[in-house]
Amino acid sequence: MTESYYLLIATFLPLLGSPIAYVLAKKRGSNATTWFSFGILAISTTLLFIASSNLHGGRSAYVESYTWSQFGNFGLRLDGLSLQFAIIINILCTVLALYSKPYMLHKIKESFEENFGKKGGDSHSDPGSYKSNTGGNEMESVTISGSNEEQYVNHHMGLYFALYLAFSMGMLGTVLATNLIEFYVFFELMLVPSFFLVAFYGYGERKRIALMFFFWTHAGAVVLLLGLLAMGLFAGGFDYDTVRENVSKIPAQWLVLIIFSLVIGLGVKLAAFVLHIWLPYAHSEAPTPISALLSPAMIGIGAYGLLRLWLELLVGDYSQYSIYINLWGLATMIYGGAMAMMQDDIKRVLAYSSISQMGYILFGIGSDSILGISGGTFMYVSHGLGKAILFMMAGSIILQTGTRSMSKLGGLAGRMPYTAVIAMIGALTIMGIPPTSGFMAEWILFNGVLQSGVTHSDVLRVVAFGLGILATVLSAAYILWMYKRIFLGKTPEKYANIRDPNRYVTVTMAALAAITLILGVYPNPLLNPVTEYIHEMFSTDNTVLQFGNINSVGASLQNHSELVATAGGGS
Amino acid sequence: MVTELQGIIGFEGLGINAWLVWILPFVGASLMPAIAKAGKRVRDYAAVGFALASAISALTLLPLGIHGGQIHSQINWIPMLNVHAGTLADSLSILMANIVAWISLLIFIYSIGYMHGDRNLTRYWFFMLFFIGSMQLIVLSDNLLMVFFGWEGVGLASFALISFWYHDRKKDFVGSPGHYAGGIQMWASPSHAGLKAFLMTKAGDIMMLSGMFLIFGYAGTFGFTELLQDQSWATEMANNNLLVPAAVLIFGGAIGKSAQFPLNEWLLEAMTGPTPVSALIHAATMVKAGVFLVARIGPLFFAVSALNSSQFFEVIAWVGAITAFLLATQALVNPEIKKVLAYSTGSQIGLMMMALGVAGLSSSFVDGYTSGFFHLMSHAMFKASLFMGAGAVLHGVGSRFMTDMGGLRGKMKKTFLFMMMAGLSLAAAPFITSGFWSKDAIIASVLESGYQYSWALFAIAIMVSFMTAFYTFRMLGMTFFGNKSKFIQENESTHHVHEVGAVMWVPFAILAIASIAVGLIGFAFEHQLHEMFSLYLENSFGIHTASLASRDVLPQASSGFEAFEGLNPIAVTASVGAFALGAILGGLVYMKKVISPEIVSKSVVSRAIWKFFYNRWYLNTVLYWGAVIGPLALFRIVWRYFESTIIDGINPGLQGTMTYFSKVIKAGQTGIAQTYLFVFAAGMMIIIMLLFL
Repeated sequence: MTESYYLLIATFLPLLGSPIAYVLAKKRGSNATTWFSFGILAISTTLLFIASSNLHGGRSAYVESYTWSQFGNFGLRLDGLSLQFAIIINILCTVLALYSKPYMLHKIKESFEENFGKKGGDSHSDPGSYKSNTGGNEMESVTISGSNEEQYVNHHMGLYFALYLAFSMGMLGTVLATNLIEFYVFFELMLVPSFFLVAFYGYGERKRIALMFFFWTHAGAVVLLLGLLAMGLFAGGFDYDTVRENVSKIPAQWLVLIIFSLVIGLGVKLAAFVLHIWLPYAHSEAPTPISALLSPAMIGIGAYGLLRLWLELLVGDYSQYSIYINLWGLATMIYGGAMAMMQDDIKRVLAYSSISQMGYILFGIGSDSILGISGGTFMYVSHGLGKAILFMMAGSIILQTGTRSMSKLGGLAGRMPYTAVIAMIGALTIMGIPPTSGFMAEWILFNGVLQSGVTHSDVLRVVAFGLGILATVLSAAYILWMYKRIFLGKTPEKYANIRDPNRYVTVTMAALAAITLILGVYPNPLLNPVTEYIHEMFSTDNTVLQFGNINSVGASLQNHSELVATAGGGS
Repeated sequence: MVTELQGIIGFEGLGINAWLVWILPFVGASLMPAIAKAGKRVRDYAAVGFALASAISALTLLPLGIHGGQIHSQINWIPMLNVHAGTLADSLSILMANIVAWISLLIFIYSIGYMHGDRNLTRYWFFMLFFIGSMQLIVLSDNLLMVFFGWEGVGLASFALISFWYHDRKKDFVGSPGHYAGGIQMWASPSHAGLKAFLMTKAGDIMMLSGMFLIFGYAGTFGFTELLQDQSWATEMANNNLLVPAAVLIFGGAIGKSAQFPLNEWLLEAMTGPTPVSALIHAATMVKAGVFLVARIGPLFFAVSALNSSQFFEVIAWVGAITAFLLATQALVNPEIKKVLAYSTGSQIGLMMMALGVAGLSSSFVDGYTSGFFHLMSHAMFKASLFMGAGAVLHGVGSRFMTDMGGLRGKMKKTFLFMMMAGLSLAAAPFITSGFWSKDAIIASVLESGYQYSWALFAIAIMVSFMTAFYTFRMLGMTFFGNKSKFIQENESTHHVHEVGAVMWVPFAILAIASIAVGLIGFAFEHQLHEMFSLYLENSFGIHTASLASRDVLPQASSGFEAFEGLNPIAVTASVGAFALGAILGGLVYMKKVISPEIVSKSVVSRAIWKFFYNRWYLNTVLYWGAVIGPLALFRIVWRYFESTIIDGINPGLQGTMTYFSKVIKAGQTGIAQTYLFVFAAGMMIIIMLLFL
């Protein structure tokens, strides 16, 4: 335990900056608040990198711990598992802060014109039901302060960034938490700002959709909370370490229920098949920079939760349930991909694509092999980068053309070359084509799934592998088809003169594209820690397929399988 | 950097060259956008310069390759998983690298003329250089994972260059507009063709990945040399009946990339790309990647399997034979010059696959191996030349249909001469063309293999040779002989048919002359190649005739030992006969015009056969119904009746229920105190009753 406060500052600096961002916008305008938020997040990211230099592989961790309450300690922990989640969350938040500026300015000006340009506009918000709610209030309070456009814009830019910073704090806190209750608090803290961001700045029936988003994820969180409470109460403490040590105290019949509640609760967040109801709406109607955070960064935290709360804390009960997670992931993968093929709205394609990609992660987590789990975890990184790029591409197209319906677009590659090139890199990442990080994640993931199937001679797993790897063709199909409909073909007359958006958009996209290319060729900085960590995590669990080749694993598993063979009387 | 060099003394210093061969083009590609700022001319020359630099690096390796040396250098890549990055330059890869490098250099020079004035040349050069880099990566990598990087890289370049003219103008399409087969349109736009090519090869790639994973699972490494050193993985896999499936799965990647049956349909639409792209990627190099992969892993599987892996080679041989026949029949009837060449490419690659497959089935591995690779070399030369010639014709005439050509012999003398030379090589004109020698070697190796069904393969090979000669003469006849077509006459006022400039004709002249030159010394050349590969297979894989005796081989196979004592008389007679028949028939119909091609439509049977071939055996139709329209229809049903109805119905349903309950509760809130008290009292009574009963 060190005496430094890197993680504490990294986590709470954005929260402290949140009101300042609002005041700054009011006083100095949107430019100042954008760069202020960017600066805050950049500092936070830098601190994470500094803290990460204390990691030495294996299960080594950098922990800051403070006494808190009867729930145990309030700690912030950076280790092999949380490292990549934290880094990706913070990089995305930092980069998207800059991206937000042109996009939100455009969006807010549009809504200003809608509200004040022509009287009685506001055809968007549904009549009645929310006038008295918080969501309605904010908008109307501005009406009173006068219809001065600049004031309106500054107010809303400030509000946006204030919420944005709080949102980033929630996400980072969730992955750094060391205590079940702390996890839950951060988990809900990231939900509230994102609810307001969708409700204030979304599209379409934004308030209804925001409420739906809130309702579903909150319901999931409550189910999760029940599981967490049971875990903590049986184990006699809510600190992760306490739970892990006392996992044997949890009665077996309760353990099943706990695992069930964790999987369902986090499954809502992950938008796994059947629990995905809220996602296509929330992701497509959220303002695009927020979509680019919701989709890759936030929903993937569900996967982090599974890894941390189930796989790590509830030692020993993973293998027997893993096949269900694996198959659920497979269903999610195929279903999301199939539904993505049916969409005309760019953002909806991407939303369904996110569902499908979460399926990949679940597929890996349920693989019952270290390689598969590591690949699934690394998938979070690569999906985070790739999907953020594609959402930014969607935003850039909305900015320039005003539409996101692909049937109205076409041939934009010549008009928006930078967007087209960077979008291609994002597309390759999602399709899992080298040299992007997508391939690195996918080959490790699928390798693990197949190895686990072959080693255990499990036909079901091998078939699941076959269908899963076939689903990558489906992913390639919907992504490339989307790309074709946007960027290739004939350009509609209307868009003959459009151009790439300004540098805030193109440079931020290019930055993410560079990261995915670098990680695609040299994944070690993020891949090594997580692989080592997961390796260590299961070092005592013989049922999980270890590293290396089947031969040597076979040797270690031999006793086990021989027993099975003699018991079954097989040859 | 951990470098281990095992070469002939004096070559240690050249390890870096093996890296440079593929790194230089990547560097060039990434610099292209910056160089483009310096001016168009500079950019074009810089691109050619990078291709030249890569070719020179490859050339410096050549002496090492010929003498059977080897450079193997490795660096750490993903230490966690025991994955290294490295290059392995041995005889096979050095020879292949030189073929790729020099042909691409010539095609680059040709591109300067062909693509002159195109507005998007920076993109063109980027992907062309990216392609060479990826291709050389496939050739020179020392492990399967890096091969896969190159594999997807060439796929990406292919996708980007097929849909290079992505604005989908009518003139860039392939296929005859209005041609439907079984309800599927048979013409395609560039962007559609690119998508199709990418997805179909991706289907092959996932098979390859699965095979790689299986091997990695058992061996714990992707490296070719590591796989050879410790061969316990192979025994283990063979015991679990997984060795052949893994090998066949890897071959699945080759099927996709080399457009073999059943993943052959993408190659024809790939002709929407600019002609130099067709020449480089879809004729000379990328589609050969599959053949190269088989040549890379074939000896490995041959060497490591103490048990019988002959099923693997049988699959290769038959896939090759079927493809060769299938695509040759389709080439007979197609009206587009580039598509005829594309069918021909697929068909010839089928022959190469057949040779490599037969190699593993025979007692003398090196015979089939050499003949397959020899055919790869000679095909790369004459097909690249033919494509570039076809590009010159397209340039001159302005139409992709051969029916719009005719009588070009006078106007385009040089193109005619060199296309004729390369065409003779494709048709395998006896004794003077490289195509003849390589095809003859394949036929001989099939005959001498001792494989149970070698007669069937032999028959297919002869039929294919006959058809090849016929369609080559048909193509040359329709293009250069006879009278000017109506199309040319109509456009004569605005567009004059003209010969192309030196920057275009010189590259394909060089390749055409080379294919004849190799043909003139063909036998000696083949002998040299044979010797080189014998050495290579013995040094690297330990495959030699002596050890073969101990292998469990078919008894009659021993005749194969003297394969190079002389020519196989049956093979020579058969291939000369097939050429003569095909050439004479083709010449009579399309050059002399003694027989009218209309003869086909006289009989119902021949018309039906013609239609069957013209509709590509309805494979495209099956593909679209089965893999595109069918799944999309299914997805639409799920979308409409599950996602949009049930899943989306949950929210309103929930909302409705809540509203209903709130109404029920509201109904109770009457505001009348007596009612509340009454309900309260009733509730209390119920509780009391429950407690005491």
